[in-house]
Amino acid sequence: MTSVRLMSADPSDRGSQRCRLGPGLMSVLGLSVGSPLLVSLPGGSCLCTAWPRPDLAEGFLQMDLKCSSPSLIFNSCKLLNLDPSQLTPVPCLKLKGIKINVVVQSADFKKHTAPRIVHELVKDMLKGVFVHEKHVINLEDFDTEIKYVVVKNVSPDSAVSGLITSKTGVEIVGVQTVQHYKSLLQDQHAVPLGGLEEVNALLREMLELPLFYPGTLSSLGVSCPRGVLLVGPPGVGKTLLVRRVVGEVGASLVVARGPEVVGPRPGESEEMLRALFERARAAAEEGPCVLFLDELDSLCPRRTSSAAPENRLVAQLLTLMDGMNKSNRFLIIGSTNRPDSLDPALRRPGRFDREVVIGAPTLQQRKAILSVLCARMPTCPSVDMTELAQRTNGYVGADLSALCREAAMHAIREDSKCCLQGSGEQVVGMKHFQEALKSVSPSCLRSSLGRTDLSPVSWEQIGGLDEVKLKLRQSIEWPMRYPEAFAHLGLRRPRGVLLYGPPGCAKTTLVRAAATSSHCVFLSVSGADLYSSYVGDSEKALAQLFRQARACAPCILFLDEIDSLIGSRSDSRTPNSVQTRLLSVLLNEMDGIGLKMVERRGTARILQAEGAEENHTQEQLDCQDVCNKDVMIVAATNRPDCLDSALLRPGRLDHIIYVPPPDQQARLAILQVCTKSMPVGADVCLEELAAKTELYSGADLENLCKEAALLALQEENMEASVIKYTYFLQSLSKTSPSITAQQIRTFYQTPPR
Amino acid sequence: MEGESGDMTLSSSNRKCSGVTGSARKIKDNAADWHNLMLRWEKLNEDGFSMAANIVNIRRSQSNEQLVDESSSAPTDGAAALQDECCKLQEIIHKMAAVVTKMRRLMTSQRGLQDLEEFQFGPEGRKSPLFHNWTTKQFESSSRVLLDAFSLELKLKQTILQELAHTSTSNICMVYLSCWLHQPFIPPQLSLTLEALLLETGHRPL
Amino acid sequence: MSKPALTSLHQALRKSFQCVENNQKLWKSVLAECTPLLSSLGNLAEQSRALSNVQISNTPLRLFPDLEGRLRFKLLQATDTVLGKLNDKMTSLQSVRDAISNQVCAVFQLYEQNTDSLGLPVVTERSATAPSVTDMLEWLQDAERHYRHQFLRRKTLLQTLRADNLSLLESAPERWKSLESPTADDNITDTLCKVSFFMESE
Repeated sequence: MTSVRLMSADPSDRGSQRCRLGPGLMSVLGLSVGSPLLVSLPGGSCLCTAWPRPDLAEGFLQMDLKCSSPSLIFNSCKLLNLDPSQLTPVPCLKLKGIKINVVVQSADFKKHTAPRIVHELVKDMLKGVFVHEKHVINLEDFDTEIKYVVVKNVSPDSAVSGLITSKTGVEIVGVQTVQHYKSLLQDQHAVPLGGLEEVNALLREMLELPLFYPGTLSSLGVSCPRGVLLVGPPGVGKTLLVRRVVGEVGASLVVARGPEVVGPRPGESEEMLRALFERARAAAEEGPCVLFLDELDSLCPRRTSSAAPENRLVAQLLTLMDGMNKSNRFLIIGSTNRPDSLDPALRRPGRFDREVVIGAPTLQQRKAILSVLCARMPTCPSVDMTELAQRTNGYVGADLSALCREAAMHAIREDSKCCLQGSGEQVVGMKHFQEALKSVSPSCLRSSLGRTDLSPVSWEQIGGLDEVKLKLRQSIEWPMRYPEAFAHLGLRRPRGVLLYGPPGCAKTTLVRAAATSSHCVFLSVSGADLYSSYVGDSEKALAQLFRQARACAPCILFLDEIDSLIGSRSDSRTPNSVQTRLLSVLLNEMDGIGLKMVERRGTARILQAEGAEENHTQEQLDCQDVCNKDVMIVAATNRPDCLDSALLRPGRLDHIIYVPPPDQQARLAILQVCTKSMPVGADVCLEELAAKTELYSGADLENLCKEAALLALQEENMEASVIKYTYFLQSLSKTSPSITAQQIRTFYQTPPR
Repeated sequence: MEGESGDMTLSSSNRKCSGVTGSARKIKDNAADWHNLMLRWEKLNEDGFSMAANIVNIRRSQSNEQLVDESSSAPTDGAAALQDECCKLQEIIHKMAAVVTKMRRLMTSQRGLQDLEEFQFGPEGRKSPLFHNWTTKQFESSSRVLLDAFSLELKLKQTILQELAHTSTSNICMVYLSCWLHQPFIPPQLSLTLEALLLETGHRPL
Repeated sequence: MSKPALTSLHQALRKSFQCVENNQKLWKSVLAECTPLLSSLGNLAEQSRALSNVQISNTPLRLFPDLEGRLRFKLLQATDTVLGKLNDKMTSLQSVRDAISNQVCAVFQLYEQNTDSLGLPVVTERSATAPSVTDMLEWLQDAERHYRHQFLRRKTLLQTLRADNLSLLESAPERWKSLESPTADDNITDTLCKVSFFMESE
């Protein structure tokens, strides 16, 4: 038998439950006109009655989806070919009784229509329809408020399908609205969430307790919590979490995004808000319901003294939340990433009773998120989730998903480049992830002040200074990479490092090399970033910088030229200037009492954070997580005497490293690094140069080489192939060291502490 | 009154063949008169309603015209028509007032019958009922209920007449019209009262 | 031989189309009687709305303190009366629908009893004068469905009216009118034309 092509039904057959097929096929299947036929389709089946096509053509099938599986009703059938074996005639007896759920358009209709009338209408509508167990009967063709009927079961029990006659008893088990029914259908396939299990469980419990066991709570004399406020930076998955939890609990969801509620005309916004609550109330009558106010901060900003329209909206929300009584069995979940800008009146028990903080994901959470994201991606076995998680400091869920997408894009691009067919096995490998890491940066840093595009610098690129390098590695790189060793020895990692020394001696480059080798986020600020003409703005900016740095810890915060940035309190000329205020902010941020509530990350581990040093039995990753919650401050200055002494005590900038001007050995190393890419003449004696350049700093030496090269070009007109030693000597005579012996003596005489 | 009762099918047929006399006769005639007066009221009410509706329509088109252009000199014929309709409605109200006056007279005569009975039989009234089982007092109270309702309704109609041509808001016009049509002060049980009266006096077969 | 079965089925089909034709006229006449009732329903709703919008105490009618309640009562009573009349009309419509349904049902039953003798080639055969049996069965079913739909929509409209929701009442006449589907009506008329030769060929 040949297959038949499924086509959409003729409009005149709408609601007739007819299935049009060729008469030949009908005779083959042993069907007579109007006899019931079950059509199996991918995703469900459909019960209809067989009718010959008006043109009697074979090879096509058109059917009206009067009675079909729920999945088919909402997803229109695509064009596809059916095998005749997918068509089975089914015996259909007259049914004795049927149990159904009625799905109606509006909650209003449900509320105001007597069950007797619904029963009468539904019974009339169902007469003469062939029904199948667990199928949905589409009654949309009647154009009434009653849209669907879900068949629960039929009697006699032996039958799975049958005909409804006027003698069939119809029992309505429940009445639902279309919205509710659809949401129930959709919830069956939800996306998995990674790394939010703890918050998920917490939210779930809060939802389930009052919604499913209201009696228990009231017998305990406790009023159910009504509101939950989700706080967290953007992209951590607040919205997704709510949708997920709501889906798991099987509650219906009414979503309000802040900007959608606000209307231009006075009073419109309040009205929309009221309508929203009314909708939630109506939905709550059918079952548990959650009213989700996304971006609550835009909806309810802090009330100001002026008569702003927002004030009225906030007042309306407060009134509505207070007006909810016990009978309104719905929960309000608000989400925001700026809890400070919410009106404080909202954040009290009775309104938003609980506040759940979802921080930027920790290492473990990132790993979980990545494995969820990569579960459906064909990844190379070489992809190491743990390493990726380590590399993605400060990335939130949204960033990680962008990362995976970018990696996949890279894989596709590469694939289409090497083989034009593009049909080969597309596997996302580690290198694609590495490429993607370059282009996707953590979103919490996107708007940050000190975000610098750091071109990687390796230790080898810095000549000499081996002792300083070692010290730096000790204080920056080691604690970041081997925290367990530090914890094992009961060693506290340093809070901050101060590099001081004469200018041009590679302090900045050293820090960059340290940041590169320790794979952590590197933020750098200068005075220009922070200073503002408004009083208090600079301090705020600095505090904000610390907040962001903490959000993506471990992180190196580099304060270059700290002496110009932050003054000293002993400097009596500028009492209470911006500098001194910035100093106090810095001191506070460095060893303030604790984190702010909203900066919390990973729920349970906060408690351990203080005592984490003893906890060496913990998993290594956990340890790394906890120990690295801090921000490492690295400051550089060439005027250590100008710094406030409070900044220099242990516990703040506790490692103070002097970066000396290079000695002869070091100068040689520097010159070697500088001339590596230069075609140097064979007569050039770098050792001699190094000996001659006493008091030259690294920058001076680099300049010297540059000058020599320029001279070569000048003398030999662009055809210069090598830089001769004479040019070096000439440039040496032209330049002079930037450091004076006096300066060095000062540094030796007055160590900063 | 006699001239008007000439067209009464109910009473004229009964008057000839009934053998009752005296108070009973008078009460029976009164009942028939109540019936006829109420029929007449209904007729007047219907006529009046169409006029009131006309008035409202004219008013509405006038105000629309004014909205369309201020300087129009046309509304004179509209005003004339309005005047005309108002006069007709006035006429109707006069006739209704006349009906109520007649009702009041019926009431007076009922009162008179009551007084007569008290004079003849003392305060307790006569021993055996005039017809089936109603006392004369009951006839009187029924008449009072009917009269009260109609006089109040007449007052309402007079108020409406005064205001109707001077209001322009559609809502209040609509209320006036629906008041006229539905006669809020004539409750549905009033027709039951009348039927009871007719039944008791033998106009309607038991 | 399928001849006797086909003849009797044809006979039943003729009877059914006759029934549809008669009832179509009846249906139209009943619907025509409904229209004024619906418009007076809308009118009453409008009056109620006006009454709600007017503050009686601010009008010359304040002399009559209980006027509003009494008028509202009268309006409700009038609405009730109209609805009662409409209900009677619905009963007539229902009987029309039932007559057609029963007739169509009977034809289908007759066909189902004779499916063995009436093979598909027989029932799908068309001639110059008579459409095929399947075509006619289809038309009958379509007509029956049309009347069922019409009746249920109108019934739902009336059943969902509530005295406390004036806008529902006010919009009732328009919604009632919008339920008319001239194309479906025309289809039935067309069908009756198509079968006219068949009907005469007894």
